[in-house]
Amino acid sequence: MKRKLKGRGVAASWYGIARTATIDRAGAWAELDDGGTAKVVTGVTEIGEGILTLLSQVAAEELGVRPEQVTIGDNDTARSPEAAHAGATRQTYMIGNSVALACREARSRLFDEMSKVWDVPVDDLRSFDGFLWAENTNKRITMEEAVDTCKKRGVVPVGSGSFTAHGTGLDPVDGTGSPWQAYVFGTQVAEVEVDTITGEVQVLGIWAAHDVGRAINPRGVEGQIEGGVVQGLGQALMEDYQTQDGHAVTHGFAKYILPTSLDVPQINSIVVEDPDPLSPLGAKGIGEPALVPTAPAVMNAIYDAIGVRIRDLPATPEKVLAALQEKRREAQTAA
Amino acid sequence: MPDLNIDFTVNGRKVARKVDPSRRLLDLLRDDLTLTGTKEGCGAGECGTCSVFVDGKLVKSCLMPAAKAQGADIETVEGLAAPGELTPVQRAFHKTGASQCGFCIPGMVMAATSALRENPNAGIEEIKERMGGNICRCTGYTKIFEAVEIARDVIAGKLPQTALNQDGAASSFIGHNTRRLDAPSKVSGRLKYAGDMDMQGMLHMQVLRSPHAHARIVKIDTSRAEALPGVHCVITSEDVPGTDGFGVFVHDQPIMARGKVRHVGEAVAAVAADTVRIAREATRLIEVEYEELPGLYDPEDALKEGAPVIHDYAADNVVKHIPVRKGDIEKGFAEADIILTDDFSTQQVEHAYLEPEAGIAYVDHDDVVTVISPSQNITHHRHMLSHIIDKPINKVRFIMSPVGGGFGGKEDMIYQGMLALAAMKTHRPIKLVFTREESFIASAKRHPSRTHYKMGLTRDGRITAIEFSMLSDGGAYGMSSEGVMRKAAILSCGPYEIHNLKVDTRVVYTNNTPSGAFRTFGGMQAQFATESMMDMAAEKLGLDPFEIRRRNMMKAGSLTHTQQKLNSASIGTVLEAAEKACRWESGAPTVRGETRGDLGGPDTRQPCTLGARFAEAATQIEKAKVAS
Amino acid sequence: MLTCDTYLMPTTLKDALQVWADAPEGSRLVAGATDILPWARDGRAGDVHLPCMVDITRVSELQGYEVQGDRVRLNANMVFQQFLEDETLIRLLPNMPYCAAWFADDQIRQQATLVGNIVNASPAGDGLPPVLTLNGEIELARLQDGAVVTRRLPVADFVTGPGRTELDAGEIATAVYVDAMEGYGGSFQKVGMRRSLVISAVCCAALVRTDASGKVFEDIRLSIGGIGPRPIRLHDIEEMLRGQEMTRELVAQASLKPAELVASRSRVEYRRAVTSGFVEAAIEDALVALGAPKPEPEQRETLNA
Repeated sequence: MKRKLKGRGVAASWYGIARTATIDRAGAWAELDDGGTAKVVTGVTEIGEGILTLLSQVAAEELGVRPEQVTIGDNDTARSPEAAHAGATRQTYMIGNSVALACREARSRLFDEMSKVWDVPVDDLRSFDGFLWAENTNKRITMEEAVDTCKKRGVVPVGSGSFTAHGTGLDPVDGTGSPWQAYVFGTQVAEVEVDTITGEVQVLGIWAAHDVGRAINPRGVEGQIEGGVVQGLGQALMEDYQTQDGHAVTHGFAKYILPTSLDVPQINSIVVEDPDPLSPLGAKGIGEPALVPTAPAVMNAIYDAIGVRIRDLPATPEKVLAALQEKRREAQTAA
Repeated sequence: MPDLNIDFTVNGRKVARKVDPSRRLLDLLRDDLTLTGTKEGCGAGECGTCSVFVDGKLVKSCLMPAAKAQGADIETVEGLAAPGELTPVQRAFHKTGASQCGFCIPGMVMAATSALRENPNAGIEEIKERMGGNICRCTGYTKIFEAVEIARDVIAGKLPQTALNQDGAASSFIGHNTRRLDAPSKVSGRLKYAGDMDMQGMLHMQVLRSPHAHARIVKIDTSRAEALPGVHCVITSEDVPGTDGFGVFVHDQPIMARGKVRHVGEAVAAVAADTVRIAREATRLIEVEYEELPGLYDPEDALKEGAPVIHDYAADNVVKHIPVRKGDIEKGFAEADIILTDDFSTQQVEHAYLEPEAGIAYVDHDDVVTVISPSQNITHHRHMLSHIIDKPINKVRFIMSPVGGGFGGKEDMIYQGMLALAAMKTHRPIKLVFTREESFIASAKRHPSRTHYKMGLTRDGRITAIEFSMLSDGGAYGMSSEGVMRKAAILSCGPYEIHNLKVDTRVVYTNNTPSGAFRTFGGMQAQFATESMMDMAAEKLGLDPFEIRRRNMMKAGSLTHTQQKLNSASIGTVLEAAEKACRWESGAPTVRGETRGDLGGPDTRQPCTLGARFAEAATQIEKAKVAS
Repeated sequence: MLTCDTYLMPTTLKDALQVWADAPEGSRLVAGATDILPWARDGRAGDVHLPCMVDITRVSELQGYEVQGDRVRLNANMVFQQFLEDETLIRLLPNMPYCAAWFADDQIRQQATLVGNIVNASPAGDGLPPVLTLNGEIELARLQDGAVVTRRLPVADFVTGPGRTELDAGEIATAVYVDAMEGYGGSFQKVGMRRSLVISAVCCAALVRTDASGKVFEDIRLSIGGIGPRPIRLHDIEEMLRGQEMTRELVAQASLKPAELVASRSRVEYRRAVTSGFVEAAIEDALVALGAPKPEPEQRETLNA
């Protein structure tokens, strides 16, 4: 038998977007501000997923300014509308859409005034990248000038948005219900190398195909997939919070083992876009779903490599080697 | 305590300080010099958030007594570039999106900088080794590696400076790789997390935690602690003015133990004092008399007749049971050609965000009780706190500070209540920063699970019925358990249309560390079992793993396990996308690793064998020998 | 949390020995200090208060190393990273760079000392197996009537058990003497729960020299850690191989032996299983370091399987 054996495994997955089996909601305020800048107020801040950048892109797109001209605040229950929790793969879907709606309202205030100023149908107005223009005319001004004009006419271009996701509760007896209005699906393939002397498993490659609805920031989506995969890999191979009679055995990072730079596979993300028809942006989400298929894909790959099925996570070197020896013993007994 | 005089240079400026000899270099930088770009993630040298250069060598400042800084030249993340500017490494991190929560990022930037200073031509394997002491929990390291390689090539002149710029303008900002707005503040260490914040007159909190898993509290005597000079208040559950209790679904957890403790590490009392050290000393002076109770440590035991009861409201120890039924499983199994049964289990998992829990509370000029913390749910937290401290909603304010990693672990209001109470009692701002060990024992984990699985299939690989039963350990408090079980049940049988199924997910109370929300919320545990079963079935039936999944997958119009009709289902598309991308060689999963032809492609990495740089150095020595 | 009343940094050995001899009971001597701070935390020793910490890293006599004929004196302040970077040491101590590459991480290696690792005497301490193969002798210094006196003893005898050594009160470990092994191939095997910043479950160090033909083990030294109360040298296996023709069968046969030596209190089965494979792999890697062709993955087989 070779010392190091490779194999591949696949796992599929699905996931629901936003809060489960309930009505989910989020609010936002937007204002086109002086100098052609913009202000967006929501009750959320960054937990690392990139929501602030994403919201600035959404606001920029909807208002006609650039992302760096958008100021996002202010994650404060006393100063901002309800955004509720930063979890449940709901930030892009819930906050993103509420910001889009708020921006549309602010923009329509501006457009209404400009259509009167220019005497053009409001539907002919467009704005992008700091400019506002009327289609099929030579009327074109900066957003700074547009906001100034609007304000001089006595109108502050503000808007608010509220977005709802209509989930329904589950029947307490048979569980029937429509917990989410948007679903995503994913598939990951893992390639592993198993060291038959030590039982170590190295994951060398992951191919992760995930439907995200619409990728508002493709790099951000990749970042979420890569982070999810490595958390999944940690759970698959090494992480294990252990207690003895309720007392933590793994009470710090010396004993609770996390993946480091040397444990990371090459991660090949494949972003699939199946837009959500029920929301303005069409985007769904990726935060949690990216983690779901990693561990089973790795276990299926270990089986492919050495014929050992790990049913109890994590597949530590000790567990893998014990299973391999058991398999050898069985083979000897059979022979 | 005698003071220690230290003279040293920090970021090019001479500094002289008189410090407590117990201080570490990390404390000296953060507390005495307010250089908070250097973070404390673990205090034990295991994470690298505190990496700084000392005389040109990168070290972990949490492992270095401050005295060792005498005469040294220290460089922190704040000193890498002039204010308002970024180094090529920092710009590359910005470009690739290498920062997510950002808490590990100052340390990562330092490690990357060190790697390239030590060897400007380092290959990716060497870079990975040199950065092996810095943990990142968000990014999966991939964008970080990409950034370091770009920075290396820009510094070496192999790539133009423009390689560090944002991707070109698009016709739309949707679908554009807009660089992260928060990245400059993260790569330069400027962003203030709750633990980095300071307020005039601020006091420091330390928490006395339960040493027992299950015990009745007979008596708490705080008098000696309160008498310690520098202590401003000691709080216990007695100080709660309103209705105590928080939780995501059931409000079963008091902000500090009330009457009994239910897990090791549960907060029992808290002290606010002038310094962390005094507060810590005071916690040791609090006398708590416990009467130990029989504990529950295995979820199966929790369901046994006569088991100890953890919460009076739940005499059977069941937090939640979620049933899902569809079709007729007996009929389904009768139609099956093969029936597979198996058992799976998953472990308890720690979120391990690099930023330990931290917060500041104060009472403002309008008598608004304000809590700043990296809470993942300020909306719900203010509702709960308003009941607990008996104030109207508009007199309770939660500000969400930048979250240094959450993953669900910061949805529970496990410390904000204590901060609010102490602020109300002292009318001083109060700050609490968990140690890593505290974070481990006091915060919720991913639910460990045991799943019994029975799957029936026809010879051509169509699933006729599934019986799925999961038991999870919720630990001492309800937290998000109910929701986790619901999601596990809804998603249980995977992205497949199953006509006959019986799914039960149950979670019980034990005296283990509580389980709560964690990225996938039960979805991972359930689908690990399902996806393992799919491959085992494929092997039995001689089917390719993609093929068996396609034969069962949901489609537009399918009824989900909870009988929701789907308008669309992209599972077919993602299966095909993954299969194509990895050049999958089709075949049944019959341990064919050795014979596969699709292994080791350019889209995989080399196996890690340590010593990449040594191998390179040896090659260089050989070359030098040959040359001479 | 670690607290102390005084933190002293003497600059001469004599001063260091004096302050150490005078230090109140319960004081601690530190060099890199990378172990003591993590130790004084919840879950391990908890909060610890020390009357005095004596830091020897500024002691001038304890810096650097010195080649003395066929021995190398490694002074107490030699940190692990130096074994990865110093060309002379890479040449003379061929298994140390591999050990250093596995030891903790690049940053901790800048502070953690080899002598400190030896004195800590952890059963899984990565530094011990290579030092045993290098016939390490530790030098211990103390003050006697105002003069510095030293004694030396083999590291194999100095380390008596987990965390236990022959270090006496008032003594400071000042250096370790090791064999200069130029021309040997060195290797280091380690398995833990991951590949960086991790404690060994088992580790194994080797030094191998072949004869001119490249077919006979002229000399071989092996030692293993993580399998019992202290790392041990595998003298009997060395005897089996020394002077013998290098055959796969012989190596495999020799590799089976150390499994019997596993006397750990936990994970015994795992350690036994790994140990044999490690001895074989250590020999193979040491031969590769000597210039033998790297076995193709297909050739690299476990013979005991």
